[in-house]
Amino acid sequence: MIFDIFLLQQVINGLSIGFVYALMAIGFTLIFGVLNVVNFAHGEVYTIGAFIGLMVITALAPPLVAVVPLVLAAGALSGVGLERLAFRPFRRFTDEASQKSRAMREATLLSSLAVSIIAREIMMHLFGGDMQGVPSDYLLQRPVAIGPIMVATGSLVIFATSAVMLGALQFLLYRTQTGLGIRAVSNNQLGARYVGIDTDRTIVTTFAVGSMLGATAGILVGLYDGAISPHMGFAPGVKAFVAMVMGGLSSIPGAVACALLLGVSESIATEFLSSGWKDLITYSLLVITLVFFPQGIFGHGRERA
Amino acid sequence: MKSKMILGAVLGAVMSAGAALAADKEIMIGYQAPFSGDRSQYGEMFRNAAAIKLAEFNASGKLPGATVSIAYEDSKDDPKEARNIARKFLDNPKIVGVIGDFSSTVSMAAAEIYATEKMPQLSQTASHPDFTKISPWQFRNITTQAFEGPYNADWILSKGLKTAAVIYIQNDWGISALEGFVDGYKAKGGKIVATETFNPGNRDFRSILTKVARQKPDVIYLAMFYEEGAALAQQREQLGITIPLYGTSSLYSPKLIELGRASVNDLHLATTFTPDNPDPAVQTFVKEYVARHKAEPSMFAAQAYDAVGIMLDAVAAAGPSVTRETLRDALAKTTNYPGVTGATSFDPATREPTKSLAKMVVKDGKFQVIGEP
Amino acid sequence: MDVNVPDARILPSSTALPASATAWRGRQIFWTVVLLAVVFGAVPAAITATGSSYLAQIAITAMIFVILSASLNHITGTAGLLSIGHAAFYGIGAYAAALLSTKLGLPFIVTLPAAGLIAAFVGFLVAMPTMRLVSIYFAVATLGIGEMIYVILLNWVDLTRGPMGIRGIPPIELFGWQANTLLSRYMAVAVIAVVCVWVLHRLTHSYYGNALRALREDDQCADSMGIDVVRLKVEAFVVSTFFAGVAGALLSHTSAYIAPDNFRFMESILILAMVVVGGMGSLPGAVVGALFMIVLPEALRDIGDYRMIAVGATMFLSILLLPKGMLAEGASLAFVRRAFARGWTTMSGGTPVGWK
Repeated sequence: MIFDIFLLQQVINGLSIGFVYALMAIGFTLIFGVLNVVNFAHGEVYTIGAFIGLMVITALAPPLVAVVPLVLAAGALSGVGLERLAFRPFRRFTDEASQKSRAMREATLLSSLAVSIIAREIMMHLFGGDMQGVPSDYLLQRPVAIGPIMVATGSLVIFATSAVMLGALQFLLYRTQTGLGIRAVSNNQLGARYVGIDTDRTIVTTFAVGSMLGATAGILVGLYDGAISPHMGFAPGVKAFVAMVMGGLSSIPGAVACALLLGVSESIATEFLSSGWKDLITYSLLVITLVFFPQGIFGHGRERA
Repeated sequence: MKSKMILGAVLGAVMSAGAALAADKEIMIGYQAPFSGDRSQYGEMFRNAAAIKLAEFNASGKLPGATVSIAYEDSKDDPKEARNIARKFLDNPKIVGVIGDFSSTVSMAAAEIYATEKMPQLSQTASHPDFTKISPWQFRNITTQAFEGPYNADWILSKGLKTAAVIYIQNDWGISALEGFVDGYKAKGGKIVATETFNPGNRDFRSILTKVARQKPDVIYLAMFYEEGAALAQQREQLGITIPLYGTSSLYSPKLIELGRASVNDLHLATTFTPDNPDPAVQTFVKEYVARHKAEPSMFAAQAYDAVGIMLDAVAAAGPSVTRETLRDALAKTTNYPGVTGATSFDPATREPTKSLAKMVVKDGKFQVIGEP
Repeated sequence: MDVNVPDARILPSSTALPASATAWRGRQIFWTVVLLAVVFGAVPAAITATGSSYLAQIAITAMIFVILSASLNHITGTAGLLSIGHAAFYGIGAYAAALLSTKLGLPFIVTLPAAGLIAAFVGFLVAMPTMRLVSIYFAVATLGIGEMIYVILLNWVDLTRGPMGIRGIPPIELFGWQANTLLSRYMAVAVIAVVCVWVLHRLTHSYYGNALRALREDDQCADSMGIDVVRLKVEAFVVSTFFAGVAGALLSHTSAYIAPDNFRFMESILILAMVVVGGMGSLPGAVVGALFMIVLPEALRDIGDYRMIAVGATMFLSILLLPKGMLAEGASLAFVRRAFARGWTTMSGGTPVGWK
């Protein structure tokens, strides 16, 4: 009875949750990588993407493929704005003591948190705190039967999008000049500047790309979930953060793999325990992983900080 | 505290003496609810509904010689803020009674203060079984699940659905909804095959549904709010599960259909409030609410509308010289208040409200009342 | 700033200390009296004069958060381990005090230290496996553990009553004296808060504190200098969680009702915000940050629905303009050294060195 079709369905359910986390984790990890600072506002970029998408859909009713470029533009714009507002001001201190100072690093983390609070509250005043429905034509919820297993169209779209994003990002990072710059800044900001890389521009580019991915994730998950609200980004944001760290911070494929692991562990925990306890299993998995892999599963060895 | 009471009384006396000559006496009601943060949508609904009732009341002339106003405070759904607000309201001698808060946790954090400092508190939504047991100063305008659960259980059994699975939200309300339903269902010979809980904020019910479907129940009973209900119904459809859904009155909201679309069709629930109710009180409320806010009121808005109505009628009964004590006594005497959520009376011993429920089903994207006994 | 002196931020160059011991003693008495006069004189006087129970309530909440913020500063500011699960230990303390007093009928004098010890014990269990972790890995581990504790509080219904919470927790009581009025409740909480902050002050502003700061700046270097890094980290974490537990017990006994929602992730973030706004690594900063973050939302109450936007904006501006905090670590250490402690010796030029 244990290894029956229901269990297989649970694994599929878990993977579809995992891909939602993964979609968000990709942009999150990219942005973390370049500055080594947690961007608390990534969840808000995700929400902005969802709302912009919804506004475009309700106002113009274009085909879904046409919504995506607009959402990408909105994402890039909010990413650049976010970088200007919450991150750039803290790079005005260039002396080594400030750069190594924990107070400075934690200040940047908290400034993105403050920006995210403001953004969320403003969205709440603009759109109301209620969840917004999505017009039925755009819902990515049609069931697809694969043998006895049921999958929603949204899961497939999210899976495909994650795969494309991952591939495109690996290409960008490892095959282009921009990617080389991003990797250089991520490795050593000061060093990158010394060899003539425009670090500010590289950081802005990274934020734009990462936020484009985040905003796309927002609208896709919104259409898949059937509800868009100002606080939709918080819960998947935490899970994406966890997945990123489990994966070892610097590895985007690692973050995706860990996001899937988290999703599957949640659905399997629901099967054998209760949904109420699933987070206990998920986070135990995190702690156990960190005990055995203190730098995450795919992380590099420790550098001297 | 005593000296402050006297101060308040003296102030009140001075003011009412002045009132005879000049303007009306001002009486205030405190309203604490989340107006910012993740639960602000509920606070907004409450405030919208409360403003309508307050305007009606002040125009009605039920309380000659005084005008009532409402002071709103934002609790952010945070118990620490609720305690601060409670103190703020207590410090204001004009405030004779308080409505709110939204969730039971926050309402009870404030209630512990209102109980010791003697301020009548009426919550439109706090359903924690202990809420009214804190002190004689706590009232609520929401039927407890000890009443609604068995009612729904009878209804489901009368349809010949003998085995049920319950999916409930892990909060105080969800637990009492589970207990109310399970007790009623088992007592009448039904069999509970599964009970599943989820933590507040959960959006993915596929795993729970898959697990429940394995037990092949005749019916799934939902004890949750409309936001989760809509997501659950959609995911049930995606999984190809066809087990019928029944639910608690908290699912009743136009938002359920807006979010759930076709997937919520055939969802059955019983509620105290229906906008289609021909009762003129309901129709005036719905018309005014739609005119002001371009949306149909939900069960929560109706609940707040009646809570404010009950409070204001108690103020009127206590007269212009109302104090916190006389308001409490007047509240306790509330019988058959003709509200939009049905006639409300407070049980003299437990101060629990009793109401009547109407059966509904979602059909073709609309809630429809079922006229069956 | 001379980057070749790593301690340049900690050692002030301009504040020469006069050799006279009596002058130092005088300053210490002066500042101690001033601070105590504010906590036990000015605030109670303001509460009595205005008759405002609202003010008293805010003062009590602020005092509890002073303990939380100061204790988080010990681990995150002084020892440099970013913890984003502090509210969970606050919750453990609150639940421990609530359960011990309602189920076993133990008095406050027992539940207060017991709450701290239970939280510290859990902190010890948590610290053992996680102390190998550094920077963000440690932060995420504390996040995970915080969420696990929340899930346990919420779902272990048999012990914690789950979402129903625990009510009927008796007020603070000492040998028959009950803190029934708000003012006496404030006084009791304030006494405990002052003691907690004093203990943390003695730990932070000492050679022991210097060792913690050393391992924060570079734990491998500190290790090679003979500092037992893992042991110190564990100790710092246990001390920090002990005081979080004490704060939890105070919450239980002053509010009479607790539920798991009091101890969610956002509460941890709020405490972290207090430390950062006040000044990472600065104990006076942590105290000021806590007062600021508790009073600010209340002060902005009148602007209505836009309150949280204003709170976020104020927080943002404060971090933007003072990224090292309102009372930055270097300046705070210099101040504390001048007002409450003495340098062990003076370098040439009169710069004090060390703690006494």
